[in-house]
Amino acid sequence: MFDNIRWLIPTSKKTLPCGEESEIVVSSRIRVARNLNSIPFEVKMKASDAEYLIGLVKSIINERLAGEFLSLKDLKPLEKESLLECHLVSPGFIRKDKPASVFINEGGNVSVMVNEEDHLRYQGISCGLNLVNLSGAVFEVEEMIGDNVDYAFNDAYGYLTSCPTNIGTGMRASVFMHLPGLVFTNEVEKVLKGALQIGMAVRGIYGEGSEIRGSLFQISNQHTIGFREEDLLERTTKLAKMIIDIEKKARDVILTKARNEFEDKIFRSLAILRSARTISSGEVLNLLSAVRFGIGVGIVKEITLATLNEILVVSRPANIQLFFGELLEEQERDIKRAEYIRQKLGVN
Amino acid sequence: MLCDDCKKKPASISFKEVLPDKTIELNLCDECASKRGLLVNRKLSPVEILQKLLRQRSEQDEKVICPRCYLSLAEFKRIGRFGCSDCVMTFATHIQHLIKQIHQSDRHIGRKAAPGTKKGLEVYRLREELKKALESELYEDAAKIRDKLREYGIKDV
Ligand SMILES: [Zn+2]
Ligand SMILES: [Zn+2]
Repeated sequence: MFDNIRWLIPTSKKTLPCGEESEIVVSSRIRVARNLNSIPFEVKMKASDAEYLIGLVKSIINERLAGEFLSLKDLKPLEKESLLECHLVSPGFIRKDKPASVFINEGGNVSVMVNEEDHLRYQGISCGLNLVNLSGAVFEVEEMIGDNVDYAFNDAYGYLTSCPTNIGTGMRASVFMHLPGLVFTNEVEKVLKGALQIGMAVRGIYGEGSEIRGSLFQISNQHTIGFREEDLLERTTKLAKMIIDIEKKARDVILTKARNEFEDKIFRSLAILRSARTISSGEVLNLLSAVRFGIGVGIVKEITLATLNEILVVSRPANIQLFFGELLEEQERDIKRAEYIRQKLGVN
Repeated sequence: MLCDDCKKKPASISFKEVLPDKTIELNLCDECASKRGLLVNRKLSPVEILQKLLRQRSEQDEKVICPRCYLSLAEFKRIGRFGCSDCVMTFATHIQHLIKQIHQSDRHIGRKAAPGTKKGLEVYRLREELKKALESELYEDAAKIRDKLREYGIKDV
């Protein structure tokens, strides 16, 4: 059961090594949108156009790249959810009613969605701050297909996309960061203001006051035209590094002002992960947040970030079912998840 | 309703974040919202600028039509999406300011599409032909198509 993508879970065979600063940067992602000249875009596309494009891309990829080419209609609902949890497809993709497919490379870190909002959406994901290496992996696939098809391109506007907000490079680079320090020192607003000034978008995935949980933020480039791809990657990386520096200083503040309180939170979180008999994915996310912080400031030494990142991915509701290879009700899921985490953290 | 964070002051703003697996709703007082950085006197995002500009409509819009996919400028303004690669040039004079306002530039300086060798298209077409020839048991035709495919370096036929 679930043979289509079970090989992806856990994602231990990622081909790219983790990027820098991975105790603060959870992941780096890149998305590149492309369309073909010869086929109408999504809103004017017929089902036969969609089928033709899938056949074409599949034949190009299968002759040249190792990986899995999956048709959306062949995927079970759980598998779709899992691909979403692994950030290899978009929410819009799994809701498509026209023919659509996705290619996932051998390493499980680069995907190509066929017939999303654009004909082709190349995506890459890596742990840590790793935009430059990741872009190499993504553009390698983009070029390989580009050698064989005619991308919709115009000298003035660059790569043409369905939506004007993606035109030009078609590229969006994002960095997901865990910033409990900034939340603690109330500097989030200051940092976000600065980011917006230089044309970067910031989305908060909410941390709560003095708590470590959550505190996830995403930065990405807002503009896709008027910059070279390298510049967009560099600006995003630069901003991420600037935020990382402020976060590190804020962590020093925490360690001098509230060390006991935070140490307590970190070790309690670890204790729960190591002994819980049933645990929800939301709770795991919060507890892992505290442990990630503990690893980052050197308080937790016996757990690696690689282990932590794996637990983060495998614990998600669909992924945990794929990991065990069976459909599980929520209650069973929580029990299995606790079991998996205890085993991962070396206790039983 | 009390603020979700401090649980003391009344909530004055509500935030909604849609994540892939859940929707988070938060009701906060001004002070706590600002602590979380949610009150940054924010500029409009590209999507918001686009939506705003698309609301500027004119009667002429129905008459500007892409000769290839038949998308009218009016429909473009309703859906915010191009219908084909010709739409962009067809609507160029009408959308230049739009792209400039969204991106603060309307000039691509990044990668250029290398004209593809189209080998992929040709191989794909030949493979389809081969399939049909074999289905219709036209083995002589199939052999010719195989030869062509081999010229393209395809060996598994
Ligand atoms: Zn409050
Ligand atoms: Zn058109």
